[in-house]
Amino acid sequence: MAADPFARLADRQQSLRTALRALQAAGPGSPDFPTLIARTNDEVEAVINARRDVEAARLTTPNRAIATATTAAALIIAVGWFDAWSLLSLLLATATAAAVLVDPAGRTPWDPRARTAAITAALVATLLTPPLNGWATLITAAGIAWWAWRTRT
Amino acid sequence: MNIDPLKALEAKVERLKKDLKTLETRLENSQTDAAHNQLTQSNQLKDTSRKLAKTNDRVTDLAESVHRLERLLVALNRKVRAGETRKADFENWPEIEKEELAKIFHGQEAYARRKFTPQEAKDTRKAIAEYDRKAHEAIEAAESLTHLPPNAESLWRKHYKQWNAITTRVRPEVPDDDTHARDTVAKSAGNEAIKRIRQQIRARIEDAVAGDLLFPAWFENVLGPAAPPGRADDWLYTATDVVLYRLLHDVTSPADALGPAPEEEGHRKTLHDRLTNECAEYRKP
Repeated sequence: MAADPFARLADRQQSLRTALRALQAAGPGSPDFPTLIARTNDEVEAVINARRDVEAARLTTPNRAIATATTAAALIIAVGWFDAWSLLSLLLATATAAAVLVDPAGRTPWDPRARTAAITAALVATLLTPPLNGWATLITAAGIAWWAWRTRT
Repeated sequence: MNIDPLKALEAKVERLKKDLKTLETRLENSQTDAAHNQLTQSNQLKDTSRKLAKTNDRVTDLAESVHRLERLLVALNRKVRAGETRKADFENWPEIEKEELAKIFHGQEAYARRKFTPQEAKDTRKAIAEYDRKAHEAIEAAESLTHLPPNAESLWRKHYKQWNAITTRVRPEVPDDDTHARDTVAKSAGNEAIKRIRQQIRARIEDAVAGDLLFPAWFENVLGPAAPPGRADDWLYTATDVVLYRLLHDVTSPADALGPAPEEEGHRKTLHDRLTNECAEYRKP
């Protein structure tokens, strides 16, 4: 396993190219086509996972930073603009931030970017809580829904 | 006629008394007759039951002697078998070649094979063309996965989905135009081979019957010692099939003619069931 995710992705893409060449040479009518499809599928999965690792490496720090910012902003707003109704939005945003802080990249292929989207939505909702009060919860909820939809299996 | 009414009455009474007496006599007579009849009948009944008991004893005796006879026959059969009597050989068939048997098997396979109707063949061809097109697209999609920049996520998703469309599907079997023709040839070759082999087997069984040869034990077990009267042709037909079944399916048991019943459905099971039924019919007394 190459240490650099970029190098690993390039590596995987290279071996996928080799597998695809064999698949194309065989053609759909040949008897070992199903075996080749299975082998190529393994290569494709490996490429997708390698890409996820690249994304994870790229997005871990921004996700953590946004989650920290969201938590800090929620605290400041809870104290400075205290309102019982707004607390709902702030609590949900803090919960999302906690989840992203614990695991900023996730495991499924599309997790890293989906988490970025969710935590960004939480940050926006937190910042909009003073004017929108509890209604800002909807923005966080939309972010979480997006996240769940993207990473569904 | 008496003029005195008293006298007349007396005369009447006298007449009536006489009538009464006659009646009494007749009644007595009939009673005696009835008693006599009853006696005769009971005597007859006793006679009959005595006769019945005697017959019963005789039947018991006869049954015992039949049983003795049966045992004697079995012993005799064994002795005859052990002796020099010529035996019919239904085990070795040097004149029937393996190729003939192979032809029969091919014919049976051809009969069992599913036939494509022209419409089905057309649909299958269409499905294959569709699969090939999808496979081409999927390969193109996978090709693009090899050079996409890692942050073009929507493209990655799209191509990955396109690739997955092919991995879960299976390309249908190509309908072969020649299959039908080849099957027809195999079927007729199999039928001819069966006809030839049946003739050979039947000839040998008929020879054995004509020469009063001893049948093998398995043969007598299923088909009885001889053809039932009046049904010789049917019996010969079934006997030929039993021998052919043993030959085709390599049954070598010396006692069990048809061997164990096959598990899976198909020609063999159908034949086995048919032969079992027919043979049971011939063994009925």
